[in-house]
Amino acid sequence: MDKETEKQKKQTKQGGNNASAIVEKIQQLGQTNVPQAPDSNIHVLSIIGQVEGHVQLPPQNKTTKYEHVLPQLIAIEQNPKIEGLIILLNTVGGDVEAGLALAEMIASMSKPTVSIVLGGGHSIGVPIATAADYSFIVPTATMTIHPIRLTGLVIGVPQTFEYLDKMQDRVIKFVVDHSNIKEDHFKELMFAKGNLTRDIGTNVVGEDAVEQGLINEVGGVKNAMEKVNELIGDNKEPEQEVIQ
Amino acid sequence: MIIYTPLSEVDIFPTENEAHSKRHCVTFQGKQMYVEEQENGSYQLLQLLSTDPNDFMDQNYVPGTSIPNK
Repeated sequence: MDKETEKQKKQTKQGGNNASAIVEKIQQLGQTNVPQAPDSNIHVLSIIGQVEGHVQLPPQNKTTKYEHVLPQLIAIEQNPKIEGLIILLNTVGGDVEAGLALAEMIASMSKPTVSIVLGGGHSIGVPIATAADYSFIVPTATMTIHPIRLTGLVIGVPQTFEYLDKMQDRVIKFVVDHSNIKEDHFKELMFAKGNLTRDIGTNVVGEDAVEQGLINEVGGVKNAMEKVNELIGDNKEPEQEVIQ
Repeated sequence: MIIYTPLSEVDIFPTENEAHSKRHCVTFQGKQMYVEEQENGSYQLLQLLSTDPNDFMDQNYVPGTSIPNK
């Protein structure tokens, strides 16, 4: 009897293991086998969800943590095998300082960078998109340009406004320096009334972003790959001339 | 439920620390990734932090993969 119960116990235990293994398998997302390609000379950096800065957001938020991205950018810059970088953007914005840090890092890289705005590249996503050497936007993607705002404890003194204004100027300056838009025009878009239902600002979609001078071209993955390869080619040429 | 307040949602309903403490950023097989601790002590891969597109083709790093507790 004892032996039998032990056996049963074992069986149920095994059954439990099997069940959990199946559950684990189900939990794994299915993906087809893809043949292994040789090392890619173009790396991809996706900036998705909120740009997370000094404050850790609750776990239900999808975030891109800048402290993770900064070392990756340095690694890309240092690795001689990596010749170009594509930045995929689908962000709702986030921390101004973290976003500007990312944008400055991307802008100061020596390797060709191309950005694609997919879905949305709002608020602080705008400077990140313009930071790349060349920027694309898919026809359906949108970018919201609006004044920056503070969260948390705000002291109601004039200095708070000055601080906010200065921070905003940093964003404006970066975008103006790295895209074809004029400062006055960008400010016009930023402070426009009546475009956004609950906010001051402008929402530009696909083609519109190109017309305003924020983004270089409307296009997707194909265009971005072509452009980054073209830029890589340009980057290589001077070296070849020296050899000749 | 409708709340009428200038505060953000998390200021009113703070998330439990538990949810935060279960998520870790670890390096596994030389790759940085976000994992969540499971009840059985293993870790489940949430997000791979890599810029190499080939890493995302690797079956071992598919989101949801169980990583044994080291």
